[in-house]
Amino acid sequence: MGDETPHTGMSRRQFLKGSAATPLALMLAGGGVVSVYLRPADARGFTLRPPGAIAEKRFLAACVRCGKCAQACPYQSIRMAGGEAGVGIGTPVIIPREMPCYLCQDLPCVRACPSGALDKKLEDVEKVRMGTAVIIDRESCLSIRGLRCEVCYRQCPLIDKAITLEARHNIRTGEHSILEPVVHKEKCVGCGICEKSCVLPKPVIVVQGLVEIQKDSYDF
Amino acid sequence: MGLTRRDFIKASAAAAAFAAVGVPVVRPKGVDAAETGITWGKAPCRYCGVGCSVLVGVKGGKIVSTKGDPAGPVNKGLNCIKGYFLSKALYGKDRLTKPLIRKGNKMVEASWDEALNLIASKYGKAIAEHGPDSVAMYGSGQWTVQEGYAASKLMKGGIGTNNLEPNARLCMASAVVAFMNTFGSDEPMGCYDDLDLGDTYILWGANMAEAHPVLFSRLIDNKLKHPKVRLIDIATRRTRTTKMADEYIAMRPQGDLAALNAIIHVILRDKLYDGAFIKQHVSFKRGKENAPYGLKDKEAFNETPADVKNLSFDEYKELMKKFTPQWGEKISGIPAKKIEELALVYTDKSRKVNSLWTMGVNQHSRGVWVNNLIYNLHLLTGKICKPGENPLSLTGQPSACGTAREVGTFAHRLPSDMVVMNEAHRKKTAGIWGIDPNKIPAKVGLHTMEMFRAIDRNELKCIWIQCTNPFQSLPNLSRLRKAAEARKAFIVVSDIYPTRSTELADVILPSASWVEKEGVFGNTERRTQQWFKMIDAPGQAKEDVWQLIEFAKRMGLGHLFPYSEKGLHREIWEEYRKFTIGSGKDLAPYEAYTKVRGLRWPVKPDGKETRWRYTEADDPYVKKGEGIKFYKAPGNKVNVWFRPYEPPAESPDKDYPFWFCTGRLLEHWHTGTMTGRVPELKRAVSGATIELHPEDAKRLGIRNRDQVRITSRRGSIVLPAEINGRSTPEKGNVFTTFFDETKLINELCIDAFDPLSKEPDFKKCAVKVKKA
Repeated sequence: MGDETPHTGMSRRQFLKGSAATPLALMLAGGGVVSVYLRPADARGFTLRPPGAIAEKRFLAACVRCGKCAQACPYQSIRMAGGEAGVGIGTPVIIPREMPCYLCQDLPCVRACPSGALDKKLEDVEKVRMGTAVIIDRESCLSIRGLRCEVCYRQCPLIDKAITLEARHNIRTGEHSILEPVVHKEKCVGCGICEKSCVLPKPVIVVQGLVEIQKDSYDF
Repeated sequence: MGLTRRDFIKASAAAAAFAAVGVPVVRPKGVDAAETGITWGKAPCRYCGVGCSVLVGVKGGKIVSTKGDPAGPVNKGLNCIKGYFLSKALYGKDRLTKPLIRKGNKMVEASWDEALNLIASKYGKAIAEHGPDSVAMYGSGQWTVQEGYAASKLMKGGIGTNNLEPNARLCMASAVVAFMNTFGSDEPMGCYDDLDLGDTYILWGANMAEAHPVLFSRLIDNKLKHPKVRLIDIATRRTRTTKMADEYIAMRPQGDLAALNAIIHVILRDKLYDGAFIKQHVSFKRGKENAPYGLKDKEAFNETPADVKNLSFDEYKELMKKFTPQWGEKISGIPAKKIEELALVYTDKSRKVNSLWTMGVNQHSRGVWVNNLIYNLHLLTGKICKPGENPLSLTGQPSACGTAREVGTFAHRLPSDMVVMNEAHRKKTAGIWGIDPNKIPAKVGLHTMEMFRAIDRNELKCIWIQCTNPFQSLPNLSRLRKAAEARKAFIVVSDIYPTRSTELADVILPSASWVEKEGVFGNTERRTQQWFKMIDAPGQAKEDVWQLIEFAKRMGLGHLFPYSEKGLHREIWEEYRKFTIGSGKDLAPYEAYTKVRGLRWPVKPDGKETRWRYTEADDPYVKKGEGIKFYKAPGNKVNVWFRPYEPPAESPDKDYPFWFCTGRLLEHWHTGTMTGRVPELKRAVSGATIELHPEDAKRLGIRNRDQVRITSRRGSIVLPAEINGRSTPEKGNVFTTFFDETKLINELCIDAFDPLSKEPDFKKCAVKVKKA
């Protein structure tokens, strides 16, 4: 995906220091603790990488596992993967339910990357494409059940762009409306703030890997 | 008059679903076998003024489930996200379970006897040395009816002081004064059915999408069903409400006063008013102007009958001539053309027009006036007291109406629209209370701001705070907190968790909450809802009414509360009910409320509720053939007030160039003492932010989530910036929320208040903003 995103020049580098993120060596020493939290990949093999990450295969080859992106992250959203990540050991991952990407406007993680695994041509946070949010469990979604939740929508940094609310009549009560959050993957950056903020024990909105936008016309 | 019996029947048919009242408390449908062993009970939600019904499932003495009650007419089984996690508000790890007494800087566990004896001795000493006006009680629109009633009887009838206030002074007082000086009776003529039946909704500075969540989804459903429905949002900030509205009209802070006057000007200029309605129902009045802002201690301002001038319709029209749309545009920022348009919307005979408002209008240094002006629009056009066509003042607390307003726990009020200044009212009250009428002082007690300032002035010796958190929620907070920290008064706080108020207390009393006790709440639409106790309170926590009565016994006032232990709530109710019978605010016997999801007063002799007041179609006090009758107003005439524009107490200037506004969001409630204990809500929204307009932010070099310092003449605070998020204030405005107990944002707020309602203006003061 990364190489398809239109990137232009580089913005001013300015990142917050003092992150307590764990570089590879440290992580290996105390890896057990870290890996408890890790969901390095979802069931379909998707791993949420920091903004600007190039396509996964090339990313694994390019990333030098230096941990500089994690150190640059002011929210400690970026962690270094442990042994269970296999060949991905020591690569940066984001586990949104723990700490999503808050989309710093100057993208300090990207600026910190020495290897090109995070593409420095990326400077507009709205062009970030780490993945896309998907409502995976409509039956459980409180908003779709007619409750006034919509936390994911109101927390979305691209509110009304990446997630919109679609109102429709609630047949169950006959006099209320269902305000359903709808994700627009062409706008969603995959930051995972929605996944983090979902109030249900198992988030019904999660970040998944990007899929190609499929058309409704059949082009032979 | 416009409304016929046929219209009413039509409206009734449209709202046929409301026939559901009368459904007994039963297991909800769809309860599967795995849930057996659960006892279900009904209760109103603990949070806002909407008054959703919930079903509470109890097993083994613990709440195991809550859900929206399908039989609840307000919410039909739905909740907002706060209501969904309602039970968790009771099960925070740090519930207060034992009385605590201050020993120097430490709070030490004590028995109830020790705590109550200490409070009684402090109150007794203060009264003996300085008189009954040296003590006070500060309660809440979250008090149950019984708690508020006991407090009023104790303070006004027992101790003999009117120093009794609810936190509703901070939210509904302006609405109350306008209801009284316009209609002669508090609370709305309309109800939520108007949200289903109308076609035009004009919101004056109200973010209903977040502050009244379930009600808003009902309003939106009307819009989905009927393409004619228009929602017009007039505000200083683009919110989630704006997003769903048909039109957004940006207004400058305080601009509502000018815009409303200019709309009225157009209606008069173009003779768009309903002359017949005016002739029959309206008198014109002019009150006192050039009012102060209450910034000085003890600044007195009253609009006595001697200050009120009667106007003829022609005189009124003459006075209104200067408020042209151009003038309105200059002050409000709303284009003159838009003002003309709004006048046409309000007077469109093919439209059923409703005005909706809440804190934007009430928390206003001229809040009563703005309420008056909104009523003027409806009275001049006759668009009132008809199904689907009413002004509706939305409330924010579960029993701001039921307790604070109907029971009357304000410094000037007595139950059922009565006031302490009126001798006949005092006599009636004393009669029901079985006391000497002279015991109730005729002098109005200290209103909220003066009550807490009086601590700083060393004039108030004892204050007991129940069910609210003033040391987070009051404006110009530093002064008041410093006075408390200096131990200038003996402070008792009853609450369920440690709060920013308990930390300043001399005695902390652990309270029972919600279904840990029995009670009654009354919501925005005059709906009175009862619930029974379902679980025990943790540890030694006791309900507030028990605390009050035990204190009364120790003050030698036990005889005022001759209720049985078992029938306490029912007996208080039946005594209180005597005030309401024949008052136009009639309540039903207690038994009736145990079986239904609330009834809207006045409850008719046949036990049926009233949806629309003052109309022969529904109100039992209006005889057939009388049409609309404002029977609570003197001479059955309601008042259209001439209320000019006056500027706010503080406006932005060179040094403090931004408007500062505060408010609510959906995920948290009030000072967050309950929602802050719900991990899911904390996960959703963890703390306060400062909302800025993107252009202002850019100019100041502030980016999203940057730390920003906001400073007013009274205080300074650092908050993370929120830009292009859920809401965007207009340029030159910043907005933040008050739920976050780690950020005492009210230290920045000015303690200016409305001279008539004494309600502070939390929506307007001047600040400077810079990157921290």
